[in-house]
Amino acid sequence: MTDYDHAAIDELLHSRVRLAIVAFLAGAKTADFSAVRDATKTTDGNASIHLRKLEDGGYVAVKKRFVARRPQSLYSLTERGRQALLAYVAHLENLLPLRGGRSE
Amino acid sequence: MAVEDRAREDIALIRRAIEEGGAYTTACSPDMLVWGVAVALGYLHTYAFIRGWSAMQPNAAWAICIGLPWIYSLRRQIRTLFGSAPPLRGPVAQALGMLWLGCGVFLTIMGVAAIATGAIREGWFGAVVAGVMGIAFYASAWMTNLAWLRWVAVAWWVGEIAVFALRHQPEVLPLSAALMLMLLAGPGLVLLRRGARVGR
Repeated sequence: MTDYDHAAIDELLHSRVRLAIVAFLAGAKTADFSAVRDATKTTDGNASIHLRKLEDGGYVAVKKRFVARRPQSLYSLTERGRQALLAYVAHLENLLPLRGGRSE
Repeated sequence: MAVEDRAREDIALIRRAIEEGGAYTTACSPDMLVWGVAVALGYLHTYAFIRGWSAMQPNAAWAICIGLPWIYSLRRQIRTLFGSAPPLRGPVAQALGMLWLGCGVFLTIMGVAAIATGAIREGWFGAVVAGVMGIAFYASAWMTNLAWLRWVAVAWWVGEIAVFALRHQPEVLPLSAALMLMLLAGPGLVLLRRGARVGR
């Protein structure tokens, strides 16, 4: 694998929406569905699909509970998701000529 | 798009999203709920005193209703004084915290000065509180990307007009208490229940 090997980038995080979700959860630690949807400026359906993919990939954990008899899903970043985000950021930095240094 | 451009955009997106997440968490702290309930109790007690339902001096009640929330809100700084490391927060989350701290300091100084000089009897202070709350919520809506907080800001400004219109009536006190419960403690409760504090 080289620093310019763009195909080596985590496919799960290559989607902008999923990347935004993971980064938002990295800052928020835990957030409910509507907060994630609002933060990523997407629709209910779109957010739901991307969250499911992240959940299936083990990057995001979900806890379901009832608040005032209404179901609520709370999402948080798993350790695997956090490591994937850090690796993704490191990879992106290597793609930048000035900041990465090694790719010059 | 060049690989470098895409990488730069992705890094900017990540930075922005992490900031928004941090600001969201800051907004979800229980401070709004604590302050909303405490100040509402202060207004209600003052109303009870005016009506003759309570013998306790309003100034003493206000000292408790303002002092205790301050101790609660300054818990992070107090912990830092005793050696605990402060939590890491991004610039937006820090700006959000500073905004509310600044509003709190301003309103406390104005409130104490108004009580000490007797200017509080002129009734304008409640309208100032409502106006400042509107500003704080309006700025918070942008910082946290929670659009519904803008409507809370608008409601505070409508409340400001109502409080100013009723400034010479004792009923302004229960109205102010209701504003505190509905527009400060209420949003605080909603944010708290949205779960950002769960699992800490």
